[in-house]
Amino acid sequence: MNRRLLFQRKPFQWLYPRLLKCVLLFIFLGGLTLLAQASPSAGQVTKNIIIRGHVTDSSGQPLQGVNVTVSGSTLGTATDANGNYTISIPDGYTGRTLTFSYTGFVSQQIAIGGKTVINASMKTAGNVLGDVVVVGYGTQRKISLTGAVNQVTAKDIEKQPVTNVLQALQGESPNLIIQQTSFVPGGGVNLNIRGLGTLGDNTPLVVIDGIIGGDINLLNPNDIASVSILKDAGSAAIYGSRSANGVILITTKSGKLNQKPTVSYNGTYGIQHAYVPLKKVSAWENAYYKNESLVNSGLPPVYTPEDIQRLQAQGNGDWERQNILHDAPQQSHNITVSGGSPASAYLISAGYQEQASNLVGNGGSGSNFGYRKYNFRLNQTSIIGRFKLNTILSYVKSQNKNHSNADWVIFADADRVPLNYSFQDSLGRYLTNPVAAQYNVKSVLEKGGYNQTDNDQVFGNLNGELKITKDLKLTGVFGGTLNSNTDDFRRMMVNNYPSGVYGDDRSVFDNSFKTMFLNSQLYAEYNKSISAHNFKVLIGGSNESYTSKGFQLQKTLTDPALGTPTTGTIVDPNNSYNTISATTETSINSVFGRLSYSYNNRYFLEGDFREDGSSKFAKSKRWGFFPSIAGSWVLSEESFLKPLQNVFNVLKLRSSYGVLGNQNVNAYQYQTSYFNYPNAYAFNNTTVGGAGYTLGNPDLTWEKAATFNAGLDASFLNNKLSLSLDYFNKTTSDILYSRQDVPAIFGAGFPDYNVAKVNNKGWEVSASYLLRTGAVTQTFSFNVADNKNKLLALTYGSNEQIFNADVFSFIRRVGEPITQYYGYKTNGFFQNSQDVATYPKPAGVSVAPGDLKFVDQNNDGVIDEKDKVILGNPFPRYTFGFTYRLAVKGFDLQLFIQGVGKRDAFLRGEEVEPFHYNYGATMYENQTDFWTPTHPDAKYPRLAAIGSSSNTNNWRMGSDIYKFNAAYARLKNINVGYTLPVSVSERVGIQRLRVSVIAQNLLTLSKLNFIDPETSEFNNNLYLGSSSNSARSYPLPIFYGAGLEITFN
Amino acid sequence: MKFPNKLILAAFALMVIAGCKKLDLAPTDRFTELNFWTSSENVNNALNNIYSGMYTSNKYFYHEALSDNAYTAQGSSTGNVDVIASGSFTSALPKFEGDWAFYYSGIKSCNLFLANVDQNKTLPADVLTRMKAEVRFIRAWHHFNLMKWWGDVPLLDHDITPDEAKVIPRTPRATVLKFITDELEAAAAVLPSKDQYSSADNGRITNAAALALEARVLLYEGNRMQDVAAICEKIMNNPGKYGEYGLAPNYGDLFSDPTVNKTNSESILSLQYVPNLRTWSEDFDFAPRSAGARTNNLAPTQELVDDYVMTNGKPITDPTSGYDINNPYSNRDPRLTATIVYDRYVWKNPNGTTQIIYIKPGSDPDRAALNEYSPNGQGSATGYYWRKYFDPNASAGFASGLNLHLIRYAEVLLMYAEAKNSLGQMDASVWDKTIKPIRARAGFTDPAALDYPGNSDMTNIIRRERRAEFAMEGLRIDDIRRWKIAEVVLNGYAHGARFGDPSVDNGYIRVQKRQFDPSKNYLWPIPAAELQLDSKLTQNPGY
Repeated sequence: MNRRLLFQRKPFQWLYPRLLKCVLLFIFLGGLTLLAQASPSAGQVTKNIIIRGHVTDSSGQPLQGVNVTVSGSTLGTATDANGNYTISIPDGYTGRTLTFSYTGFVSQQIAIGGKTVINASMKTAGNVLGDVVVVGYGTQRKISLTGAVNQVTAKDIEKQPVTNVLQALQGESPNLIIQQTSFVPGGGVNLNIRGLGTLGDNTPLVVIDGIIGGDINLLNPNDIASVSILKDAGSAAIYGSRSANGVILITTKSGKLNQKPTVSYNGTYGIQHAYVPLKKVSAWENAYYKNESLVNSGLPPVYTPEDIQRLQAQGNGDWERQNILHDAPQQSHNITVSGGSPASAYLISAGYQEQASNLVGNGGSGSNFGYRKYNFRLNQTSIIGRFKLNTILSYVKSQNKNHSNADWVIFADADRVPLNYSFQDSLGRYLTNPVAAQYNVKSVLEKGGYNQTDNDQVFGNLNGELKITKDLKLTGVFGGTLNSNTDDFRRMMVNNYPSGVYGDDRSVFDNSFKTMFLNSQLYAEYNKSISAHNFKVLIGGSNESYTSKGFQLQKTLTDPALGTPTTGTIVDPNNSYNTISATTETSINSVFGRLSYSYNNRYFLEGDFREDGSSKFAKSKRWGFFPSIAGSWVLSEESFLKPLQNVFNVLKLRSSYGVLGNQNVNAYQYQTSYFNYPNAYAFNNTTVGGAGYTLGNPDLTWEKAATFNAGLDASFLNNKLSLSLDYFNKTTSDILYSRQDVPAIFGAGFPDYNVAKVNNKGWEVSASYLLRTGAVTQTFSFNVADNKNKLLALTYGSNEQIFNADVFSFIRRVGEPITQYYGYKTNGFFQNSQDVATYPKPAGVSVAPGDLKFVDQNNDGVIDEKDKVILGNPFPRYTFGFTYRLAVKGFDLQLFIQGVGKRDAFLRGEEVEPFHYNYGATMYENQTDFWTPTHPDAKYPRLAAIGSSSNTNNWRMGSDIYKFNAAYARLKNINVGYTLPVSVSERVGIQRLRVSVIAQNLLTLSKLNFIDPETSEFNNNLYLGSSSNSARSYPLPIFYGAGLEITFN
Repeated sequence: MKFPNKLILAAFALMVIAGCKKLDLAPTDRFTELNFWTSSENVNNALNNIYSGMYTSNKYFYHEALSDNAYTAQGSSTGNVDVIASGSFTSALPKFEGDWAFYYSGIKSCNLFLANVDQNKTLPADVLTRMKAEVRFIRAWHHFNLMKWWGDVPLLDHDITPDEAKVIPRTPRATVLKFITDELEAAAAVLPSKDQYSSADNGRITNAAALALEARVLLYEGNRMQDVAAICEKIMNNPGKYGEYGLAPNYGDLFSDPTVNKTNSESILSLQYVPNLRTWSEDFDFAPRSAGARTNNLAPTQELVDDYVMTNGKPITDPTSGYDINNPYSNRDPRLTATIVYDRYVWKNPNGTTQIIYIKPGSDPDRAALNEYSPNGQGSATGYYWRKYFDPNASAGFASGLNLHLIRYAEVLLMYAEAKNSLGQMDASVWDKTIKPIRARAGFTDPAALDYPGNSDMTNIIRRERRAEFAMEGLRIDDIRRWKIAEVVLNGYAHGARFGDPSVDNGYIRVQKRQFDPSKNYLWPIPAAELQLDSKLTQNPGY
């Protein structure tokens, strides 16, 4: 096995043969089209008139493929890629009219009347089929799409007061699944398209303004012009080795040629209120229940009747979640200046967004906790003859300040102390108590230090387009992103009363890392229309390279007041490292291409491919080829469907098949490596370094997803109702997964192997209905989708992997959805002593009436491992979104509901189990429906002391006692606005002025009602090692605010 | 084409090409298989890594709660030892898989080292030989632990492939035992004594450590006492060859004094730590809370407290011992005070001052009453805390650099006493070489405790002596299992101090109901997941 690193002198050696192939293909296709062009001869009519013209849409964009016909004849042509057409008619026809028709647009008739130049501007027919959709390396009209692409535009995004684009996208597109697992400002979300297709990373590829791999979180939502979601192989294959999870293409706003300069402002300001549905029982009730749990287990009560009376008399303290949360502002302000001359256009925007944290305090110094983002963007286009240059520059600064501990610790400590206690006494001292003995979470928030990240991102993109001939265009793109991130952390010491100290390690650290991403692309497009035939060829190559470097320095026992080094300060060697230890480099070289053909706007055929070579794999496994083929058929253009034209305005079928790749794995995994680390052991009171190793897998290569898609787009009732359906079936093989077939006796962990296989299929429906009655316009848009994954192979010989997540388990089993909950199924309660005597029990456990019974699946009279079954699926199913828009004169309303139709959530911890592990000493109102002899049909078993056999039976066995129904529907956004009539606003020089009131997350309906149903323990691959969900997460903020939009020109 | 266009085009083409990066990229901070072993520094580091994987402080302390010495309330954070003690567990308990994987991972590191180290051509041959012996010791140590808990276990004397791992059968216990003792003897023949090592190597495995471990392995067999006695004699009688060992003058200092803990003539093998750099911090959850501990998660039981004899050497159950149930902690084995914190204990603070630890409910004059027993609080569940291994110099969070003793000379002496007693050879001369000096060092002064008592109850005397001497050092559970007394001492309630309802168990708090089934529980179940993946593995009886 030769795994030496070869430093190649000729990095392009591999490329030549491939480029040659592409060039030959290109020449061949070019020749073909030229030949085709030569064959049709001009009409044999003696005298002809040539009419030329230019056809655009209402925004001035050229329209390609518009049918131009002469009334009462069979003469006709179609516009080319630049929207131009030429038609030759007999001179006797000058009295006739030209008909311009294009699916998705209103047909137009223009009398010839002797003119030789006839231009037309077409209006869309009220549905979206005429819209321009951004696709990989270009744009297409929706009608000509062969793949499954959804587009979300600025109007869907900009009315939502969010700091993160993904929050605004949730529910907007079917099967664009966005799950906000924590609501902390600046917190992450789970994002995937069409659910889970792999056990590895399911994150879609993000392409921003043509550059692969941007950070969607850093975008200013206000800067976005459109978001295209490429879901199937037909649309995504051009992105090859990273497209298996789908692609999100984001285009930012740009200026337009020939446009007066305009200045616009829009902003929102509002207050977020933290919604905490969780309620502790009162102090005296808590004591009463505690006694009950002890007495039920044969132990003496700890509270005397007098104690309980005293607790009742003195009332509750304030040790509750609510009291470490406060209302906090959220705001955004954006200014955009744009304009354009005939040869250039520009757009400059600046934005500021702030989401303050609902957690109280500032950590002891500086500003309050929260997230702030500053965006600046410049988009400039110049046209120099046949050359067009588009330059995009953006700068983003994002800052997030958090406390010096983990959120879950803060909420757990707020939750586990009963209401007997308060955070502070009358002197303002932070109190500790027998439950929270060491520190007080309020003191941590208010005095205990901070964790502050400060990230700068510069993005630049030069895009040059050169028109070589009328039909041939060459595009070069050079772009890159430079990220510079710092994290500055300080834990400060707080002495609590009467005892307990927080932060006595007084640690301070600085972390810095920079990433540099460079992308160069060069591609040629050839476009030819010959009568009703249209050909397009695109061929290109690109390189992407990525470098990340970082370092960290941590010191402990610093000066308590300043955080600076002082006597006794030490550099923490286990948490400090240099750049050498934190450098990662990856690179990908690619060749890609597309061939599309359409006939008469009725038949569309497209083939795409990409070939990628990635540094993440060994030389022989490095190159992957990813092709796709797609077609569509506009049935409504067929003569046999013309009689039904009153029913179907448009009816289109499309289908695609292709093989896509996924290479979302860590770099260097194919090499076995040894690393040294400090302080492994010690001799003679002096530490020594150690050496560890990481096994490599030289055979590592891509995951491959074979994807089939079939779809239907239709529009009815005079284009008022439009409908889109999609079905997909995707099988991902060679999924990178660690081996689960090898027992621990082997003695070491494994790198990833190409071993697993997953099938994922599902459907999507989106519909929208436009209703105009007099001055009232209403739009109803609805989308719903489902996907169902199934594990087809896990790892070599093994078909099952069980992971114990605290009390219950996760399972991956072949033939079942990727990850599910696993354990015992409950079967009500032991109701009487006869039940106790006869019903099967776990070995060694003694139970009493009121304890849980489990289903003895194999009827062997004992509850053991063999009785464990699959209990639920944590992945969201039937995700949906509903938007209602209403416009009446100057008033407008937008209402948005989003939700999940089916999801199982397992929750554990103090919020579920009474007096959880003795770690929690509380009960909550949601736990009080427990069994007693007089309440035998309760939800929960009887109370029992922690450590008792009953408690072990009821709460330690890992049963569906922890299962909750996490389906929900959320009224996510309401926006009511009023726009001043232009006639009024223009008097003060304002083109448009709109004011609005906004509410967000106003109402959530769910059976899981003591925490937010969206919270999840899983990231987006349902990673087995995710720790179980204790619902100790940051609460849902409910936002109320107002907005203002002004445009001047 | 206009000139500027050409220029711009050319510039783009250049940028595209310049942007290309080679695809053969290597990490900057690691070695490959080919160049790793050739460096002596790396070989040393590989060996150090094996040392660091020898054992964990968590196992060292929390295994006490498997025995009748201690109780842990929050088992989930400490490997579920409480569940094992309760007797209600299955083969899927994570602790079994975790420990099994820990030992086999240690064995793999050893086997990889032994398979590859000869690639190194720069280290002197004698150094390489010594290093290999150190590794062979640790490999035997891991096998011993496996055998101790599970009985028959796969014996791995070479590095195995994943495919081999899937079909490896259990090796009969006798073969594993033979392998362990052979390896230890081979290592002992090569390794230097502690006095032959340079001081910089203080803490490395010595020939005495190899012999002492062999003695322990054979002692646990129960039927090899002749060999045990012979091995102990080697260590006791050949200071020139095996190093000069003796008992440290002060029992408490051996664990808590930063100097004595590291430089004494008693330690044969310790897990090595260094303040601030390589530390353990379990004591954060053991010590009295008024001493700065966060909570209590390992509490000594009444059963342990009761087994410390009186200063006159008599057990408290002896009516003539002078034990006073209302003043239970006075006139007791001085090691009780060195080990356990009881109600009204006088605690020595690191700054030299003292504080009284009030544990009895309602007795603390301080309103905070941090140490008081409450069934509802974060304090001790038994009404006792630990003093042994308290580090007065620990940094924040009780991060301690004190060494944890794995094998002490006192153990050699007590193994010798036990072996001799089993062989019927216990007499005053053996006593005077073993238990007498251990008790004298512990602080006994009464001749009734120090002098040879005759053979009246010698087995129990030795057993109590081991329990008192090694409390909190993880040996008690081993002793219970090899003496086969678990069905007695690990059945029924574990208790705490006498703060409870006087009508229940004479007022001693019940802390956990325990069960032990002698028909199966003397061996742990083979982890469920391993059985599934290794087709040749079989389960222990009863699981």
